[in-house]
Amino acid sequence: MSESTVRYSPRGRAGAIKGFLRRFLGYGGAQVGLVCLMFFLIVAAVPGILVGPLQTAINATGDFLVPPSSQHLLGTDEVGRDVLNLVVHGARISLTIALLATVISLVLGTTIGMTAGYYGGRADVWLMRLTDFFFVMPSFVLALVITPVVLEVMGRGGEILGLRPSLFVIIVVIGMTSWAFVARIVRSQTLSLKERTFIDRARIAGSSNLSIMVRHLLPNLVPQIGANGALVVAGAIYVETSLSFLGLGDPLQPSWGTLLSLAQRAGAASAGAWWCLGAPGVCVLMVSLSFVLIGNALDDTFNPRRRVIP
Amino acid sequence: MPDTADVLCLESLHVHFPIQGRLFDRLRGRPAGAVRAVDGIDLNIGRGEIVALVGESGSGKTTVGRVITKLAQPTGGRMLFDGRDMTSVQGSSALRPYRHRVQMIFQDAYQALNPRHTVFDIVAEPLRSLRLVEDGKQLAERVGEALASAGLNPPGDFFARFPHELSGGQRQRVVIAGALAVRPELIVADEPVSMLDVSIRAQILQVLVDLRAKHNMALLFITHDLPLAWLIADRIAVLYLGKLVEIGSADEVTFNPRHPYTVALRNATPQIGGNVGRAELPALQGEVPSAARVPKGCRFHPRCPVAFDRCREEEPPPVEVGSGHTAACWLAT
Ligand SMILES: Nc1ncnc2c1ncn2[C@@H]1O[C@H](COP(=O)(O)OP(=O)(O)O)[C@@H](O)[C@H]1O
Ligand SMILES: [Mg+2]
Repeated sequence: MSESTVRYSPRGRAGAIKGFLRRFLGYGGAQVGLVCLMFFLIVAAVPGILVGPLQTAINATGDFLVPPSSQHLLGTDEVGRDVLNLVVHGARISLTIALLATVISLVLGTTIGMTAGYYGGRADVWLMRLTDFFFVMPSFVLALVITPVVLEVMGRGGEILGLRPSLFVIIVVIGMTSWAFVARIVRSQTLSLKERTFIDRARIAGSSNLSIMVRHLLPNLVPQIGANGALVVAGAIYVETSLSFLGLGDPLQPSWGTLLSLAQRAGAASAGAWWCLGAPGVCVLMVSLSFVLIGNALDDTFNPRRRVIP
Repeated sequence: MPDTADVLCLESLHVHFPIQGRLFDRLRGRPAGAVRAVDGIDLNIGRGEIVALVGESGSGKTTVGRVITKLAQPTGGRMLFDGRDMTSVQGSSALRPYRHRVQMIFQDAYQALNPRHTVFDIVAEPLRSLRLVEDGKQLAERVGEALASAGLNPPGDFFARFPHELSGGQRQRVVIAGALAVRPELIVADEPVSMLDVSIRAQILQVLVDLRAKHNMALLFITHDLPLAWLIADRIAVLYLGKLVEIGSADEVTFNPRHPYTVALRNATPQIGGNVGRAELPALQGEVPSAARVPKGCRFHPRCPVAFDRCREEEPPPVEVGSGHTAACWLAT
């Protein structure tokens, strides 16, 4: 019986994951991205241990605008705060905002894209119109619109998950403006998946539409969602930086964008205080670059053929 | 009155797919027309009966199977299951009792299995969705039983496997096990062995034939292969361009075909064509015309070696040519 002569390796889910990791880590970009990201995640996890509590104008430890020295590795800002201290604490804020916004974006984008692609017809038309609307919506405008609403609901001093209102606004705004990108990708993937025979089989097996979406489509969408999720984080960090730079951040919970904004307003650039602008700027670049590298490596791992054609 | 001995009756079943007309045609008000994939089919399947649906590729076989399994909606005619009209029943919850009784086996087993589900989950899916088991223990029993009936032994060894870890024959057995698990009364098998190695075909066919013997399941066996149909079926229905041109017992249709198309199909296969048939008619010329442009008159006439004037004008109705043997040809009577 030729069919029983096939050799099996006794591998299941664990083996599949191991194989995936081997291919994924084979990409140089993935290695660089992961190491860089690890570094920032550790920094963001324990800022207090690394550099002590967040410095404010009151407990600032140095002189004004001191260039980098052995005492202040990254110099000080215009009120004498240690820039290293600020940047390390900023990592936590920036990453939290970006990751939470990405979760919102992925949940919304996947749900809407999958529903539109699976049901098709009128649901598809209307959901994609909504998607296009959010696709072109500028985040700054949306932020201006919903800030008063959030302030009304939370109160000026309120907190949600330890986030003050202005940061909460930023998270919601990034989430709402970035899901459209995810929805389009998920929809197009759903359109091709739903023609596959295993969806027909699921229907004949009596599975409901919801169960087909959750049990059959979603697991097959995970690669796309993962790869694009990494790109969404990179975009979220940028948007967060620019929104904060425009003054939507919170001075009491300074993110990298807020630091850039404060330095800019204090005239750091004209005063030649490059460290005030450079330190948070380089952090933004490195973190978003590592997410892009990871996202591309994930994409390559899942669709190895895609990049053959440049 | 529907015959209650039949598990399934198709009455004048039509499936037309609308053609999206080109913009130019639409502006000029030309009708776009339709692909007449299934164009008026009457077919009964008895309890525990194996009926083969034979025809070239593009003749509409898969579409008939999709209508019976409620994956496609007919545009005309009726479908009765056990005497009940199922034509307009839709929606997964309304169809649950029907799904319990009618299952399907697919041509491409690899495509039919979700690459991210284990064999256990695949076979358990209908049992779970149709709520046919009470607890996990019963579920495991039923899944094991179905895998064993489909010839995967010992079943426990396959529970945690993924489709890509199986051979082609084993994958098809998993598909069969999934269909069997609910103990249906009718299984539609759409070219279940056409993608398998010849050495495995016989084993899979044996599994299907055994089902009828053990559980009295009816089987609609879809194939393009007349000898295979003769091997497995009690009756054969020959489909050409959306219409049944001949129906009869397997032996009658194979060895005493009355429609030129069936004769041509038989002649295309040396094992049973023999010298006798070969002398009668030349083999088939050309290809099946598109179902979007069905020829006028008898739809087989452009390829028919014995066509005459009437065939080009009038469509022949099915006529009785023997007991339970009908053919739709002007020359059959
Ligand atoms: N969803 C569809 N839309 C339009 N045309 C279709 C569709 N499905 C099948 N057809 C057409 O119907 C005809 C019969 O197809 P099918 O049932 O797959 O034939 P078979 O299984 O005998 O090869 C073909 O001409 C095919 O192109
Ligand atoms: Mg087919």
